[in-house]
Amino acid sequence: MSRFRMARAASRERGHAMLELAVSSAVMISCLAGTFQFGYTFYVYNQLVTAVGNGGRYAAQRTYRASSARDIEKGAQAIRNMVVYGDAQPAPGAQPIAANLTPEQVDVHWVTDGKNAPSAVDVSIREYKVDAVFKTFTFSGRPGVEFPFVGRYAPSEREP
Amino acid sequence: MKAKQRGFVLIAMSVTMLLLLAVIGLAFDLGRVYIARNEAQVFTDAAAMTAASKMDGTAAGIARADEAVAHLPMRWNLGTREFKGVIVEFSATGEKWERDPKDASAMTMARVTAPANQVEITFLRAAGGPDSMTVPARSTAASNPVRLVQ
Repeated sequence: MSRFRMARAASRERGHAMLELAVSSAVMISCLAGTFQFGYTFYVYNQLVTAVGNGGRYAAQRTYRASSARDIEKGAQAIRNMVVYGDAQPAPGAQPIAANLTPEQVDVHWVTDGKNAPSAVDVSIREYKVDAVFKTFTFSGRPGVEFPFVGRYAPSEREP
Repeated sequence: MKAKQRGFVLIAMSVTMLLLLAVIGLAFDLGRVYIARNEAQVFTDAAAMTAASKMDGTAAGIARADEAVAHLPMRWNLGTREFKGVIVEFSATGEKWERDPKDASAMTMARVTAPANQVEITFLRAAGGPDSMTVPARSTAASNPVRLVQ
């Protein structure tokens, strides 16, 4: 083979290699982006399941004080704090267990009997967005739990 | 390209794809398995406490416990599937467990098992993993006062 032909063949191979790299890079980057996206979303969802479970257990065993609507709301706020910060009365500047999760995104619903005494409590996440860089997933109504109320019912007590 | 070099790319690509599927599988499939395990554990915790809260020393209380667990509105697999085959058992001491105890007045504990949460495996299967993984969960609660004990 002449020197000229060998040089052309080598140049063609380099072109092929560039093309293969471009195609395989696109496939690899898509796969890795998808893996990160779902992996991170699952990680956050798992944290939310744990947080909602902890909040539900806390709500189930907490004293339900219902002297006024304000006391019920204060109790619900403590439950929301337990879900978001892992603490009913978080210190100032406490970090949420999942990025950008706020107490307003936690729904607390008391199931009551005919005499307004609580029999169960529903705790769930509302409109929480997971920013997985390439895509945003929204969780609304899930994860959610229902625990039976087994704490003390104090209809005339006030929240401290 | 020399004759000896031919086929190398195919082998390298096959090995790389297998490894890539394994990595994707670890993130995707095991991620779902861990979520299912966590969801099932939270469910059995709530269910055991629910069953224990309905126990009042009567056969009717035992029936109410079964009924209440069956109607818990909790789901798994990212909150999309109902728990199936849930087992509720009762015990006086925590040693012998019965689904339908003869002496309801002696019962002090309820145990709930969610045995059949089968997560279908998508990517790890292609890399030699199993078709599905079963993620069971179990919790035990005592009555009076109602509390989780295990």
